[in-house]
This record gives sequence, C-alpha cells and structure tokens, in this order.
Amino acid sequence: MSDLHDMEMRAVYAATLNELMDENPNVMCVEADLSKASGTNPAVVDAHPENFVNAGVAEANMIGVGAGLAVEGKIPFCASFSCFASRRVYDQVYLSVAYANTNVKIVGTGTGITQGPNGGTHMDFQDMALMRVMPNLHVYSPCDVYELRVMMRHMAANVQPTYMQLVRPKVAKVFDETYSFDPEKAVVVREGSDVTLVATGYMTAFAKAAAEELATEGVSVELLHYPSVKPFDIATLVTSAEKTGGVVTVENQNIIGGLGGAVCEVLSENCPTQVKRLGIPDRFGEVATEDYLFDKHGFGPAHIVAACRELAGK
Amino acid sequence: MSNEFNRADAARMAAEWRYIITDMICRAGSGHIGGALSLVEIMHTLYYRSMTVDPANPKWEKRDRLVLSKGHAAPVLYVALAYKGFFPANLLGTMNANGTTLPSHADARTVPGIDVTTGSLGQGLSVACGMARAAQSKREKHTVFCIIGDGESNEGQNWEAAMFAAHNKLDNIVAITDYNKLQIDGFTDDILSLEPLTDKWRAFGWEVFEADGHDWDDVYTKIEAAKAVRGKPAMIIAHTIKAKGCSVVENTAGSHNVKVGDQAAYDLYMGALELETMDLPY
Repeated sequence: MSDLHDMEMRAVYAATLNELMDENPNVMCVEADLSKASGTNPAVVDAHPENFVNAGVAEANMIGVGAGLAVEGKIPFCASFSCFASRRVYDQVYLSVAYANTNVKIVGTGTGITQGPNGGTHMDFQDMALMRVMPNLHVYSPCDVYELRVMMRHMAANVQPTYMQLVRPKVAKVFDETYSFDPEKAVVVREGSDVTLVATGYMTAFAKAAAEELATEGVSVELLHYPSVKPFDIATLVTSAEKTGGVVTVENQNIIGGLGGAVCEVLSENCPTQVKRLGIPDRFGEVATEDYLFDKHGFGPAHIVAACRELAGK
Repeated sequence: MSNEFNRADAARMAAEWRYIITDMICRAGSGHIGGALSLVEIMHTLYYRSMTVDPANPKWEKRDRLVLSKGHAAPVLYVALAYKGFFPANLLGTMNANGTTLPSHADARTVPGIDVTTGSLGQGLSVACGMARAAQSKREKHTVFCIIGDGESNEGQNWEAAMFAAHNKLDNIVAITDYNKLQIDGFTDDILSLEPLTDKWRAFGWEVFEADGHDWDDVYTKIEAAKAVRGKPAMIIAHTIKAKGCSVVENTAGSHNVKVGDQAAYDLYMGALELETMDLPY
C-alpha cells in the first residue's frame, strides 16, 4: 500500500483488511448494512467475498455473530457507526465479547463530530468512555492512515477483544511508514517543557498543528498522542506532567470519561497536576460543520492554543 | 450410538440428574431449578445420543457444538458434562461457592466442554450463527446446537439471528426452544405471548418441528430429523414442563429461581423428587 498517504481513512481500513485476508483466511469483515460507509463495499466484497458477512440492520446480531466467528478461530472486524457499535450493542459487547473473552474487533466509524450531517441522533461522544470501563477490552483511536494500518495489523495478530474508533475521511498525517504501534505506549510526538498537551484519534493532528503554532510564540508544548486509552500508558503522562506542571487534553468526545477522564484519574493518583479538558462539555450533538462545533464546544485549534498558553503561564 | 440406547438406563440417569441438580441448587441456597429440570431429557439425548463429542478433547474441531443460550439452566449442562467425564463430578458440589469454576450461568471460560459463555438472554443464537457461519466457510460438517428459552424468545435479538440464519442457509444449526410456557413473571401467554410460535419460525424461513420434550423417542427423532434438514436452519419447539420432576414447584413461575434458606426448604424440594436418595458424587 504505497499510496497510503492520500487515501481516506476508510479506504485504508478496507485495503488493510484485504491485505490481512491475503495473509490469513481467518480474518473476516462483518458489517451491519453500512459497508459502503465503512469503505469495505465494494473493496472487500469484491476481493474477498468469502470473508465478508453482512448482518443487515441488526447490530446486536452482528456482535453475536462476530463472537461466534471468534469462538471458531476467526478474526472478525465488526464495523458500524460508533453510536451503534457502542451504545446500541453495549450488553452484547459486554457479555459475548469482553466477558466471554472472544477475539472480536469492534470498529466504531464516524465517531464524534465527524458524523456532522447525521446530526445529534447519530453523533456519538461517549463511545470511548463506555468502552473504557469495560474490563478486558482494549480501546484504540488511530490518528492517521499510517497508524491505522499498523494498529489493524496488531489487532489481527493479537488475541484481544478490542474497540477501535475510525473516522472515515482523509486526515492530516502525524506519522509516516516508519511508525510502529504498541498499545502499552503513548507517543511523544513533540518534546516540550512548558505544558503537556494530550490528544488521541482525530484530534491529534489538530493538536500537533497547535503545538507548532505555539512554538513560534515561544511556548514549548510537549505533545503526547495516546493511540490506546486502554491500556493507558501511565508512565509517559506522569513523566511529562512532572516536567511541565500543566496538562491540556483534547478529544473528539465528551470530556467526561474518555481521554480527559483517564488523564485526570492517572494524575490525581500519581502526580496531582492542573488539567484543562477540551472536548464536548457533556452535551448532545447536532447537524453542523466541524468548525461550528469546534467553536460551540471550545475544542478547535484556537481553543487548544489558548488553553496551552494559559496553562503554560505565557 | 442410538442402538445402544436403553430407556431404563436413561430414565434412571435422568432421575439422578434431577436429584443432583436440585441438591446443587439447594446447597447453593438458590438457583434456577425450573429451567434446568425442564431440559433433562433433551440434554441427555444431546450428550448420549445425538451429539458427537470427546470429553478427553473438549476443543476437538470435529465435535458438535452446543450453545446454551438460556445460560441460567447451566446446572443441567454441568451435570451432563460431569457424567460424560469432561470434568470431575465432585466439582458439582461447588456450584456458586466463592471461587468456584461452576457459576450459576454457563461459563466457557472455566468449564471444560462448554462452548459459549451465556447468561444475558437473547445472545446465544447470534453466537451460534457465527459459529455455524465459520463452519460453513471452513466446509466443516459438525452441527451447532442452540437451546433458547421461551421467555428468552421475547428478546428481539433472537429474531435478528433467525433472519440471519435463514438468509445464510445455515443448515448446520439445530435450535431447540424449551417451551415450558412459563417465564419469571408468569405464563408466557400472560406476559408476552409467543403464539403462534411454530408459524413464526416457519415465516422466518426455518424448518420447524414440535416435540414432547420429556419423551425420549420424540426428542431423539426430532433432533435427528432436524440435523438432516438441508438448505435452511431447523428449530425444534420442545413442549416441556418447568421444574419437571420436582412436584412441589412443577409448572409454576416460582420455580424459575427458588430460594432455599433452611433444612425444611431443602427437605421440601428433595422430598418432591422421584429419587428418594442417591450417593452424591461430591
């Protein structure tokens, strides 16, 4: 996949599934009538029809079917909009995947404000929080195409129930072909000394741009990217917070329970530090553009810059 | 295996199972006696006549699978597995004790021979569909059995799975409804009627059989007929009696989960069984 750089995230999702299926016939693509939105139809349907299962508009059954496939040694990637892949199937994920310890990979697509045109009914700000409190479930959120590909390769190679967020469009690049993924490790994207900025998934590219802008003003931002919020790399956060003394978190989620919640839990027990959480302040979504939602809820590029500046004391 | 079947031996074993199930639940202080006792003949027929399994190799690829979707009936499955030799029978006495490997609901993580962890109703048939779909893609010939409850059939996920199994022509699924006509709050006809149940499953594209769930020949014949169905999944509506064989609670909603708080209650339930006494394996 040499042309990765210019592909949509969902196109990389489908291409990586095809790549994995070429290597291992046990990898399965399971959908619930949103395969075109996930990018797997026609890409995976055409290349690997035997490995493609469509459950129809029946997400609970999709998760159960995924669990049954996994019981028999298959490696199912079960995708739907994140609202349906998390809150709608919470008990199915709890019992048939996490508790039963079945090797199911659940993919929540179009998470957070990236559901724009579908509005508040579909806009999901709590899938990370919901899934993070589920024992025996890893929770990932890749920030770009390079990370997505190696993250999926890691998921296919490891027996571990997992939930992964996936935004669908093209996104800015944070990494390159040399990137490697370890769920136990956060990535220090940029070293700094004045303030720690913690991001995950869709927001990491925005955070990187904010850190670069702040550098030109003389504010030194240490940017930590958390591709996995569970497991959560405690050491990297604590080391950085001890150095900078202030932490800003930014996520495409409710500020309760997700990345910001995880950061506060870790710091309050290990290194009490002032934290400013940016994200959705416990509200529902609505039909709107990303810029509108960034401004309304206060977690866009300008808000990240302002929050970092404030906590850096500059 | 069928020609080895001896009705008197089977009846004797069924009586023992009912004695052990009731004792296990009484020792634990509470439990789902009704839905376990209604399945004794069905579970015996599966493990002693219709299913191919290897107790020495519980994960044997060619074995038939069983999903006990009504996971609260786990005691009858635990007894069947212990009798077949999947694990030492003395473990049966530990059900629900602190640290036990035999919890109240069927647990594949800790019990050899259990294929799927269940307990939250409505999920097992979906899991069976996934297992059957995997077997289909691997060209494997085993059968995936799935037992669902009648109260459990209220859950909409069953009907999602019903559509999925028929659409995908999963003829390697044999499902059994334990139709004892009772759920926790009362008779199914009073709470949320399932009727016409056979018509429902037929309309969903399944081959449907009805059986007397306590008649050895009828249960066996219908299971074998269901296994032979090609091109679509098969459902056996098994007419059963909740808490069958424990006369003081037979055919009562209260038997769904009994509380056994003292010796008098223990004596009441144990004294209502066909078998007066036996040497317990624990």
